[in-house]
Amino acid sequence: MKKRVIQFLLALSVVMIPIGAIATVSHMSEGAKVEAKAQKEVYESKGFGEMLYNFWKQTGIYAFLHPQEGVKNAKGDEVTKFQQSFGRLIMIGITFLLFYLAIAKGFEPLLLIPIGFGGLLANIPLANIIGDGGFIGELFKAGIENELFPILIFMGVGAMTDFGPLLANPKTALLGAAAQFGIFGTLVGAVALSQLGVFDFSLQDAAAISIIGGADGPTTVFIASKLAPDLLGAMAVAAYSYMALVPVIQPPIMKALTTPEERRIKMTTKRKVSQLEKMLFPLTVLVLTILILPESSPLIGALTFGNFVRESKVVERLSKTLQNELINIVTIFLGLSVGSKLAAEYFLVPETLGILILGLVAFSVGTAAGVIMGKIMNRLSKEPINPLIGAAGVSAVPMAARVANRVGMEEDPTNVLLMHAMGPNVAGVIGSAVAAGVYLSIF
Amino acid sequence: MILEAVKYMILGMGVVFVFLYLMVVVLDLQHKLLMKFFPESFEDSSKEPPVTTKREKLKKVAAITAALHHMKNS
Repeated sequence: MKKRVIQFLLALSVVMIPIGAIATVSHMSEGAKVEAKAQKEVYESKGFGEMLYNFWKQTGIYAFLHPQEGVKNAKGDEVTKFQQSFGRLIMIGITFLLFYLAIAKGFEPLLLIPIGFGGLLANIPLANIIGDGGFIGELFKAGIENELFPILIFMGVGAMTDFGPLLANPKTALLGAAAQFGIFGTLVGAVALSQLGVFDFSLQDAAAISIIGGADGPTTVFIASKLAPDLLGAMAVAAYSYMALVPVIQPPIMKALTTPEERRIKMTTKRKVSQLEKMLFPLTVLVLTILILPESSPLIGALTFGNFVRESKVVERLSKTLQNELINIVTIFLGLSVGSKLAAEYFLVPETLGILILGLVAFSVGTAAGVIMGKIMNRLSKEPINPLIGAAGVSAVPMAARVANRVGMEEDPTNVLLMHAMGPNVAGVIGSAVAAGVYLSIF
Repeated sequence: MILEAVKYMILGMGVVFVFLYLMVVVLDLQHKLLMKFFPESFEDSSKEPPVTTKREKLKKVAAITAALHHMKNS
């Protein structure tokens, strides 16, 4: 019985397979015929003039001169007529300004060059580089939408940062905490202004914008892509340009809040730091994070991983990769994808101005809060503390520490504050990551 | 809304301060423990003066002499 069944099945398959194959082939040839027909329809002969005219319609000049109503970009967002014509030209002008600042003025060239060029590419009409399938669009999806790039940058930052100065004088970490007032103070300010009708930001938007006060690029991108993806471009540009402008923004605030005597305060030498202590530090911080604020463990986890790789001293190769190759590659990708948000349709909106202003306020308030905390600590503690190092509590590493050092030296050239200022500076990185974690746990 | 934001501010600053203050306390504690149990890790190994033998000193002198000689001749 079984044999028969098997024979029947075999015979059936012998018949069925060729029939199936023939059917498929004939079907395919039919499809090919249809396609050929369609192609024939497309390739009707055209006059050379018409071809030339069609080509003219595909040029950038035409696109700039003849903006159309109701055009959508590759992401499906509406682009107004103004944004298509003058808007794009204005944005291209802004990207050239970014190049100028990066090259001639030396402001954060590592970031402003990729961001600026990303913005330039994003404003090319008809090319759709930032949409689905466009290379910057794909980079954006690969690393910004899912917050991957900021985390990778944090690993590199961890591997590049020496927490020794903080370990030598842990108290100064409180200055890094105080400077985070820039973030939360601005949250209140932004919400209040929205209530008064000056701006139109939701609570989440306000929170995302206020994180600029942490002066930490990756954290800003991380929070923006979680809480307010629409505002990402303006926020990232604000954060990175204010980080670049630290030497311009901070000194007036620092000088206004301190007396010359306070600026001349010399800080005593710090305690010794052992290699073992440095190695245990990332683990200690991570354990604290796990216990208190697991929400911020992506950022702090990456930071401490990078730092552990550095201080373990047995994986020099990995440490070097994190410090150089990885962070450089990710910076290129991050810069280009952030730049894609400089497209006219995303940047030339009323919110941008609000973000730029609130970001500056956040940054200044953070600096001021750090300096004031420095003054308070100087009164209370036995050892003298120069309030200037409080300004380094915003996390722009190592620029803010250098600025504190320079302002101190202007008053007294023998007063070297750099290493003392690095303590609050690196604590500021942890502080703003904690603040980000608070936002993530709230919203 | 504003009241809500003020609440978030207090919460946020509170958490940041508590976190970093705890970090300070833990780091101080860690420092003391390490000082007690691993005092040898705090001794700077790099600061020990490099041991120079007489032979090495002579080599240095020879190198300096050669350099000076070279300078004078050229």
